[in-house]
Amino acid sequence: MIVSLNWLKQLTDIDIPIKDLATLIGARLVEIEDVVDLGVKYKNVIIVKVISAEKLKDSDHLSVVKIDDGGITQDVERDDQGYIQVVCGAPNIKTDQFVVWLPPKSIVPETYNSTEPFVLSSRKLRGVMSNGMIASARELDLFDEHDGILELDVNVAKPGTPFATVYELNDCLLDIENKSLTHRPDCFGIIGFAREVAAIQDKKFKTPDWLLNLEPDLNDLSDKNMNLSVAIDDSSLSDRYQAIVMSGVDASKKSPLQVQTYLARVGIRPINAVVDVTNYLMLLTGQPLHAFDYDKLVAVAGDKPDIHVRAGYKDEKLELLDGRIINLTTEDIVIAAGKTAIGLAGAMGGANTEIDNNTKNIIIESATFNLYNLRSTQMRHGIFSEAITRFTKGQPADLTAPVLAAAVHLMSKWSGAICASNVAEAYPVNQTLPIIEFTANLINNILGSEFDVDNIINILENVEFKIEREGETIKATVPYWRADIHIVEDIAEEIGRLTGFDNINPTLPRRNFVAVRPTEFDDFRKKLRKILVRAGANEVLTHSFVHNDILQKANQDSNNSYRIANSISPSLQYYRQTLTPSLLNLVNSNIRQGYENFALFEINKSHKKQDGMTNENVPVESEMLALTIANKNTKSGASYYQAKKFLDYLCKTVGLSVTYKPVKPEMNEPLSAPFEYRRSAIICDRATESQIGIVGEYRKSVTKGFKLPEYVAGFEIDVCQLFDACRDLSKSYKPLSRYPVSYRDICLQVSNDVNFNQIINNIEDTLDSIDLETEISPVDIYQAKDNMVKNITIRIKLFAYDHTLTSDEVAEVINKVVDSAVVKINAKVI
Amino acid sequence: MQDINDIHDKLIAQIVASDSPREILKSSDLKQLYNVILTLPVNERGVYGKKINDLKQKLETAVVARETELEDLTVQAIDVTAPWDINTSELSLLPTEQGTQHPLTTELENVIDIFTRMGFEAIESRQIDDDDHMFTTLNFPENHPARDNFDTFRTEEGFVSPAHTSTMQNRILKKNKSKLETDGQIAAISYGRVFRNEDIDATHEHTFYQYEGVFVSNDATLGQMLGTLRSFFEIYYGQKLETKTQPAYFPFVEPGLEFAIEKPATLGGEPGDWLEMLGCGMIHPNVLVAAGIDPTKYRGFAWGGGVERLVMLKYNIEDIRHFESGKLQFLRKFL
Repeated sequence: MIVSLNWLKQLTDIDIPIKDLATLIGARLVEIEDVVDLGVKYKNVIIVKVISAEKLKDSDHLSVVKIDDGGITQDVERDDQGYIQVVCGAPNIKTDQFVVWLPPKSIVPETYNSTEPFVLSSRKLRGVMSNGMIASARELDLFDEHDGILELDVNVAKPGTPFATVYELNDCLLDIENKSLTHRPDCFGIIGFAREVAAIQDKKFKTPDWLLNLEPDLNDLSDKNMNLSVAIDDSSLSDRYQAIVMSGVDASKKSPLQVQTYLARVGIRPINAVVDVTNYLMLLTGQPLHAFDYDKLVAVAGDKPDIHVRAGYKDEKLELLDGRIINLTTEDIVIAAGKTAIGLAGAMGGANTEIDNNTKNIIIESATFNLYNLRSTQMRHGIFSEAITRFTKGQPADLTAPVLAAAVHLMSKWSGAICASNVAEAYPVNQTLPIIEFTANLINNILGSEFDVDNIINILENVEFKIEREGETIKATVPYWRADIHIVEDIAEEIGRLTGFDNINPTLPRRNFVAVRPTEFDDFRKKLRKILVRAGANEVLTHSFVHNDILQKANQDSNNSYRIANSISPSLQYYRQTLTPSLLNLVNSNIRQGYENFALFEINKSHKKQDGMTNENVPVESEMLALTIANKNTKSGASYYQAKKFLDYLCKTVGLSVTYKPVKPEMNEPLSAPFEYRRSAIICDRATESQIGIVGEYRKSVTKGFKLPEYVAGFEIDVCQLFDACRDLSKSYKPLSRYPVSYRDICLQVSNDVNFNQIINNIEDTLDSIDLETEISPVDIYQAKDNMVKNITIRIKLFAYDHTLTSDEVAEVINKVVDSAVVKINAKVI
Repeated sequence: MQDINDIHDKLIAQIVASDSPREILKSSDLKQLYNVILTLPVNERGVYGKKINDLKQKLETAVVARETELEDLTVQAIDVTAPWDINTSELSLLPTEQGTQHPLTTELENVIDIFTRMGFEAIESRQIDDDDHMFTTLNFPENHPARDNFDTFRTEEGFVSPAHTSTMQNRILKKNKSKLETDGQIAAISYGRVFRNEDIDATHEHTFYQYEGVFVSNDATLGQMLGTLRSFFEIYYGQKLETKTQPAYFPFVEPGLEFAIEKPATLGGEPGDWLEMLGCGMIHPNVLVAAGIDPTKYRGFAWGGGVERLVMLKYNIEDIRHFESGKLQFLRKFL
């Protein structure tokens, strides 16, 4: 929204520089995105009188014009009488006219902000000297009117007077960020905005009397030979609907140029007096008005001037002013003539009652509508006009009457139309003004401020609250235009805001002397990150939403994903079910960037439908950790073991002992879907056997789909499961022994179908039965080509806390281990 | 001339049994079908041609499926319990000097750390939620225009992707209201991922992180809110800071403000450079009521700010899209 500083100045005094004013408005009302100096465009642009205008020989449209600039322009060629010659191509140039002249060296205002501003000069046109130019409204950057030069009223000012002075164009335009005024319908009118500007400078504001007159009397003006009836069929749709008929409309009449320039500078194109009146009053008061063609309306209604406000019908259609035919819904508010829709209330009129050049009689509508309905209308039909922007802020019912009265006055003044009916009105429920009772103490308790009663009364009276005081109690009657004020907190905001929140002393809350620490879960996640970073992995964050392609490539069923219904981007279709697909999607691009060997991990939430709802009836969220390792170059050995290496390190560091179990081929879970079951394992907590996640290589189709290198693998685990498993682990520190340690390597040959874990378990079981301290670690895994057996070498570490082990003791242990292996897993000692 | 359906059945059967299924796409039966086109009247060619194309598509799908199946047959099972593969040796992790933590999680940990030291509990925000938590309990009536300002993603199932961490506010208030009786206050932050349905560019992401604070006591004031926020930023930037505010409208607070700090010298700030950091305000009584807290006895304040903004300023990051890009080029700068 654009606000004109000069327009504000017509309504309140402003005695601080614009820069300070903008800062003050920013701190106490609304953010100003930009301040534009309008006046610079009109430097040297002056009003001149046309002394003579003669057709140029051999030209069908050019005239040689002599102008009187009052003698003020320097360095310009003049004739004997001191007049300046300009060649002008406009058809409407006439002697004695007052027009706007752009002297040589001035810039055409229309081009002022363009990349190539057009600088005027004195030059010959068809052999005739032409100095500068006489300007059209468009060249003056006022509005899009280029049929001829801009004609001013005769004797509007002495020739030579700056154009900007007469039309108040030495103005600054404030570009206001609308969003934070969503609750302030009053500020969408310049009067309301000026009221705030007065108050933030601690000045009293006086609303014009006509706007305070809530029951204006139009009887004197009215000829009343025409009838009009209005009805609100459903009082939830509109608080109040008023309309009046005016006759003798002349669509060719213009509003005063001064008014046109004000409309134009805030972005509204002047059309004719009728339309300009409605726009001017909307800008002034925030109340939009609409005009219908009376005779068309009567015809549509079946020869009765009968207006209804009602909900749209299903399957009802309406052709709008812009030519679109829309399908109405029962949420739209419709203005109907008789039974036929003639307008989408608050949004746009219908084509069937549009005002045109033949219009003689009009109906002016001044009304309010349910803002929630209008908002849905706005979204559904994509209408973002100045009017609906204001209506959806919730204009008060009281405002319609004074603005309608003002419209009648201006309409007759500018267009010559006369009032031809009584005000027809529907006002089902009278709106009352709230009165809020409070004490200064309460305001200070909310804000942490120190206002006294008189301060508070003064601040509120500046913005025209009616105040009564009873001892310590203040009773504030809310002005009718402040629909946003309901409760004492709203009053506190007024006080704090109008005096500047920044003047409140910042303090700290008193707090109990109790330590707060991050949750154990937060600490745990932090630890997981540190561990993986230390292992050389890179943490990534990827989007929670994925394209269907990603799910498909990862072998996951999109029916298990929550689907985004309104995304503006095609890549955001589904909530992801697990994190692995997002990581796989990053591998190829990073390899192409030149990274050969890396590990990516992410800790984040994922969502799948199969998990159902929480007790709050919202989807269950899983907190997952996924890691993917990739190497551009081929390496010997299965990549599975590289991923497992990371996982073993992670588990060891958090102190958890896990087992790896084969994946069943029929397992079909989002988690396991991307993994190749023959080369993957389920990770289980050794103590409870509960499943924590999966580690492995990916399916061939997945590798292909994501264009992964051959050496790639990863894991994904449920962080909550992991956390639960780690929660009750006791720290397993054991003191060091003072006695030497013995090592023995044993090499066992076993059948290929005996897995490594069986061997380890077997050895561990044996060692558990022995009264010595032991540790085991793998040394070598060997298989001769095409052999059906493998040789596994294990190192056993032995010691005691109370003596040095003898070689007999050690030998006895090793024999036991070997014996058990031979018996239980058919091992052969090599 | 063989019927297209017959050829379809015949070739599919061949593909399913073949060890080199792609060869079957070169079948003479297919070539013949193409030859038939030329013999047809012009107006029938289009329909016929489309049929052949459909057939080709189906065969292609079958070939890919068979190829995948064949590839799968070559997959060897491994001993998943072993520490490394047969005839290889012990594996190592990656060099620790190439490991990096994501800058957003680093700073988020930092923010949580400061607020917990200030006495605020930290709770992670949800990534999928309902209208009730996102809007209704926060004093946004149904259809309220202010809902538009949040550009919220919605799912077909009727859920929302939270557009602010305030989606946790009602939960925090409800869960902790008993503390008001015992400790006299609720102090918590919620942090996490939020979503806005908007186009992305160097300064806009549809996915970003917020931290939100909630404080309720029997004597909370707006002055305390200003003090708390200033204190946080002073600790975060390690220097004294000027602050300023601007009125703002959020339905869940009254009064509502935007909070700005003077750009810290450590970030190259000069006096008069302001940085808008977050939105804040006194919790609207309706929000307290929605959580079963009596607004005549207790008052509170709340705020919500973006983590990306903190991080981008701190490291001078030029493009917000880097954060979720997963580019090692970017990530490895944060050693």
